[in-house]
Amino acid sequence: MKNNPFNAQNTNPATWWLVGICLAVLASLTTSALLLLFIAVGSMLIVLLCRDQSSWSKSIKFYLLLAIAVVLIRVIFRIIFNLETAPSNPILVLPSLEISLGFGSSLRLFGAISATSLMAAITDGLRLAAIILSMGMANSLANPRKLLRQTPGALYEIATAISIAINLAPQLISSLNRVRRARKLRGESKGLRALPGLVIPVLEDTIDQSMALAASMAARGFGRRSEASSLRIGATRFTGLTATTLLALGATLLLISPQNQALDLILLLSGLSASVIYIRLSALGASRTRFVKAKWRYPDFLLIGVSVSLLILGFSGVIL
Amino acid sequence: MLSLRDLTFSFLKPDGTPATESPTLNRVNLDIDQGKFILVCGPTGSGKSTLLKVINGLAPSFTGGAISGEVIIDGKNLTGRAPHEFASLVGFVNQQPEGSFVADRVLDEIVYGAEQLGVDEATISKNLAEITAILDIEDLLQRNLDSLSGGQQQRVAIAAALIAGQKILLLDEPTSALDQQGAGKVLAVLKKLTQEHGVTVLLAEHRISRVISAVDELLVVNGDGSVSLGPVEDQFKDARFAPPIIELGLKLGWQPLEVTAENANKRWQEKPKTFTPINPNPAAEKLLTLDQLSVKFADLLALDETNLEFFGNQITAVMGDNGSGKTTLCWAIQGLGQKTTGRVSMQEGETADLAKASRLDLIAMVPQRAADLLFLNSLAEEFSESDSFSQQPQGTTANLFQKLAGRIDSSMHPRDLSAGQQLALVLSIQLAKSAKVLLLDEPTRGLDYAAKRALAKQLKQLIEPNRSIILASHDVEFVALVADRVILLKNGKVVSDQIVGKALNYSSPLASQLAQISQTEGLIRLDQVSA
Repeated sequence: MKNNPFNAQNTNPATWWLVGICLAVLASLTTSALLLLFIAVGSMLIVLLCRDQSSWSKSIKFYLLLAIAVVLIRVIFRIIFNLETAPSNPILVLPSLEISLGFGSSLRLFGAISATSLMAAITDGLRLAAIILSMGMANSLANPRKLLRQTPGALYEIATAISIAINLAPQLISSLNRVRRARKLRGESKGLRALPGLVIPVLEDTIDQSMALAASMAARGFGRRSEASSLRIGATRFTGLTATTLLALGATLLLISPQNQALDLILLLSGLSASVIYIRLSALGASRTRFVKAKWRYPDFLLIGVSVSLLILGFSGVIL
Repeated sequence: MLSLRDLTFSFLKPDGTPATESPTLNRVNLDIDQGKFILVCGPTGSGKSTLLKVINGLAPSFTGGAISGEVIIDGKNLTGRAPHEFASLVGFVNQQPEGSFVADRVLDEIVYGAEQLGVDEATISKNLAEITAILDIEDLLQRNLDSLSGGQQQRVAIAAALIAGQKILLLDEPTSALDQQGAGKVLAVLKKLTQEHGVTVLLAEHRISRVISAVDELLVVNGDGSVSLGPVEDQFKDARFAPPIIELGLKLGWQPLEVTAENANKRWQEKPKTFTPINPNPAAEKLLTLDQLSVKFADLLALDETNLEFFGNQITAVMGDNGSGKTTLCWAIQGLGQKTTGRVSMQEGETADLAKASRLDLIAMVPQRAADLLFLNSLAEEFSESDSFSQQPQGTTANLFQKLAGRIDSSMHPRDLSAGQQLALVLSIQLAKSAKVLLLDEPTRGLDYAAKRALAKQLKQLIEPNRSIILASHDVEFVALVADRVILLKNGKVVSDQIVGKALNYSSPLASQLAQISQTEGLIRLDQVSA
């Protein structure tokens, strides 16, 4: 598996997020159940072929369960809250149930349901499932710590906070297990009295651990700042905020109403250029070096190329 | 290289007044030259850690407190500055390396500090090649940190602390969680760093015996705010924290004291003393039988078809390296741990058939982190919770605790007790119902020599014909003090089962320090020697 050039170990984690986002956008644009199924199954296959041994690569299981649950719930809801009245060619006929709500018309549950209505429900469910699975793929294949190392300088503090949280989560679980096991030695106290016995040592552990980690980071130079002027810091933050707003606005408009594509594209492009300026500004006069650099290699370019082409084909209506 | 001038440091209460009557460090003056290997020692709570933290800026930045005087490193006055201003000059290694790792791959972890300090790439590559060669971790660079052994992790932490070319290295009890082999390698590396690469090393340690012959000088933090620096043999005026080799010298009135086992051996040979043989407590009734007991984790056989018998009136030590199965054995006997195969039986029957409550009454256990069992706000509350839970008359636990730890104000918060007192509290809670089997997992972790001696005395008080005490430990000197019988485990198998005098004998790999010095059959601990 390690020899596979597309293995998560050998690729840039950002690639998987780009691929995931492309597939999710494509899924939200299409109405073809076949394409949705293709995206959902494709995401699963990519994970199975490219994942490494890390713990988060196992999370795809939960995304898969969630996706299946979403499709099932969507279909079951359609069967229960059936709004059709006497379809011409029903494929499923259940006895209907009238509930009087005491005001307006009564609510009708179950009844006859047509193939088109059922298919629409399945497509809706599949769309959500495809989006969930493509994001799940990105999450399972992109090592969060590696990804955080690539964050631009201005986001460094936030990235550090996130990576500490990632580090502490498994420690929290192991100290909870340890304390629970130890508590059994004293015999279980009943009810609420037992709670502090569990919470206090775990909390103490967590605080100790965070302090030890923070101390170790500080002792190795974390918190050093470059001598940036407050003007530059202000300008950096402003461009950052502008870039995020433009990108979010452009993406939202594109997803709700794909009719006015010119405006959406302008928003997206100006957002992108603002982010480039932002990253340049924040890297200016950086006080840190990056010895271990994330590499971009041909598998990354290939994966991104394929997903962007799919997205363009989607926009131009060829495969929708 | 490093100077402290009139340095005073005290911790403060929230209202800004000093938390203790006298400052933790009081008008300390010190000069330490480049390339010295210095052991920082002193009783628990004397301020060893605080002294180290003052030298790298974590105190007062992280700990709070008031500082006056001067900390001068490499000619720069850094008093009261933030830790990152010390970072390019001073490297710091913590007690638990896994708790201070920021990355998940060895390479990323090592270069982190240099990246933070903005060291250029060419220098990082050069330093990286050099430091990984010294520490013998070149092959580990691409590995994940959690796949390393404790000793390897500690060496990675040392490399990470020196990657930016720091010339001072501070270590706070770096070997306390390591077994003999892991600790030995870490010490060898530190020695090499001082001698061949001019790094100044300050090492704070409880377990002085294995460090003492490697260091150049001893810095004693006395606990009254004063410190003294000098050659090892001049430093032990009181024996509160002295290792056996020093205790022996003090007892026999050696002038000057010897610090290496070799010299001490010569001195002993010149004039061997008479000694009384060890009389292990005679075994009473058989209380516990293990029959084909096995424990399996995923693909590791942690305990392999163990057959053992334990008797009343005795303390049995289970020894072995990290990962040999000591802790697993304790939990398997207790029966609350992982799935086991085989049988654990007592006179009352097979423990698997007993109700959970009666099993807890019969088999008491004190886990590695004893404080995990404490959760109430005062000693009095802990006592009454314990009495009512074990259905004993009120006062049972309190009496037991007083017998073990002396009279202590019962309104005190259990977390304000010392580690040794907490251990005594957990012991008395667990023994309120006078269990027949008492298991202790690594009870001497974090205890200094004085606290260990106190614990040894307590455990001896708890010996009864109808009680078998079993302790898992890799602390040879402690085992020499308390045990009657020693079982050695390796890879989940019993490799030897002997009386203590034989097991810690001079020819054994587990030889106690006195056995190594005297090279005499049957002599393993100091109280055997008559002055």
